[in-house]
Amino acid sequence: MTIIAISSDSYGMGREIGEKAAKRLGYSYLDRELLKDIAKCSGIPEGKLLKALEKTPSALGMSAKDQAIYLAHIEQSVIAEFLKDNVVCCGLAAHLYVCGVSHVLKVRVLSNPEVIGKELAPGKSLSKEAVDKLISRNENARKRWSVKAFSLDETDPSNYDMVISLNKIEMQEAVKSIAGAAGYKKFKAMSYSLKCLKDEEIAAKAKTILFPRFPDAQVRANGPTVVVFTKGVKREKQKKALMIKEMLGKIPEVNFVEVHVVNDILREAAESLR
Amino acid sequence: MSIITISRGSYSSGKEVAEKVAACLHYDCVSRDILLEASDRYEVDEIKLVRAIHDAPSILERRGRKKETYIAYIRSALVSRVRSDNIVYHGLAGHLLLRGIPHVLKVRIIADLERRSAMEAQREGITLEKARSAIIADDEQRRKWTQSLYGVDPWNSSLYDLVVKVDRLSIADAVDIVCDAAKREAFKTTSASQRKMEDLVTACTVKAALVEEFPEVMVSSEYGNVIIHSTSGERHAHKIRKAAKALEATVAGINNMEVHVEGGAPAGAV
Repeated sequence: MTIIAISSDSYGMGREIGEKAAKRLGYSYLDRELLKDIAKCSGIPEGKLLKALEKTPSALGMSAKDQAIYLAHIEQSVIAEFLKDNVVCCGLAAHLYVCGVSHVLKVRVLSNPEVIGKELAPGKSLSKEAVDKLISRNENARKRWSVKAFSLDETDPSNYDMVISLNKIEMQEAVKSIAGAAGYKKFKAMSYSLKCLKDEEIAAKAKTILFPRFPDAQVRANGPTVVVFTKGVKREKQKKALMIKEMLGKIPEVNFVEVHVVNDILREAAESLR
Repeated sequence: MSIITISRGSYSSGKEVAEKVAACLHYDCVSRDILLEASDRYEVDEIKLVRAIHDAPSILERRGRKKETYIAYIRSALVSRVRSDNIVYHGLAGHLLLRGIPHVLKVRIIADLERRSAMEAQREGITLEKARSAIIADDEQRRKWTQSLYGVDPWNSSLYDLVVKVDRLSIADAVDIVCDAAKREAFKTTSASQRKMEDLVTACTVKAALVEEFPEVMVSSEYGNVIIHSTSGERHAHKIRKAAKALEATVAGINNMEVHVEGGAPAGAV
């Protein structure tokens, strides 16, 4: 009864290891194929969901609001799958949004520089220095993306239980280590950790409803209670709170919504200058 | 048959992991005793060696290159100690000082800052706040040291074969994971990897013998054929040749020794 979230600097390598670990443990396996189902349910094109997982919002690309909405849909679907338990997941950024759930084993796999060099620059023969530069650039881009999307650095080893480099360790051996670690007592699901996961699912559901209207909202769930923090000017505080309560009332698992509207000082200052 | 280096921050349980791994695999466990060996061998105060391997060099020290001299002594003592294999080293910078040796399993043990702070606060009898600041300052010192001398960030996971966070994984789990990895084929000593180790020992011994007088020299060794690379041109070349000739008779494992004053040193040179 464990969940394994695999992060890798190479999606292809992470997927291969994830599939093998799932097969070895008899777990179900989850990767970006799930985006097809999410696209069908949410009506968001699959390409946009993929882009939200890969690109940092920019003025010319995807907006931060759109990314937050797409990621909330991914988060909700992934957590729903996690609730079925015994899952290996790769490439869906799960390691960044199920941090507080104790039965999730978070592993990062670092590919051999040659492999990642070929993946980042297919068909090109690059020198070692050029590959190192490319890897460093890719790592910085991933760092920017993860900090922007989830306020966590994906490349920081302290966000994982284990980091395995495939420079000398063979893939099969890495799979064996991951499968072995999944068997440790600490990663067994317990009623409290399952409750935490369920809370994360409710929070993700709330985000999918709130983000199109309130993209800056921060949502937390504790059983049937949902707490929302958002910004607003004094005069619209009550209206906003009512609107959020009404929107989240549609979720069957929610029976109490607590809304905290924090003063938007910048907007208030701008309005007072008009 | 392998060498395991365990890199760790203060209070991250790396020492316990290293000692238990050594006990489990029946390996020797060494740490700061290397500094004692270096201190005896090169007649340098141990405190100077401790400072050299712990504190980041200041601007003046970078000019004087004294720190690099001490590190060459420590490296020479370390490689001589680990050449006989079956050893766990959990002192500072093992993963950098033993770079290029295939049968070295490089492990980093990390732990949550709060857990580390609580341990330090308890042991030193200080407040949690003070303990946290001390640990952050120590980590920063390590980061500066590694970056100034080796140009890499010690927190970069790609420097290690394995990074294990002792938090939800217990010390016993971490020991299991490291022992299991050490038994893998990739970390078994082969005749080729042992040859590389012998060459590293030779190169480090020559470097340590020359570094005080000629701090700019880099030394490489291949099958006992030692090349001393100097950037000071012909000006010092005859002095280096003279010193090298004296070393040829005293350092074991040298087949042939040359001094090159043109062209840069190869990547594996020390």
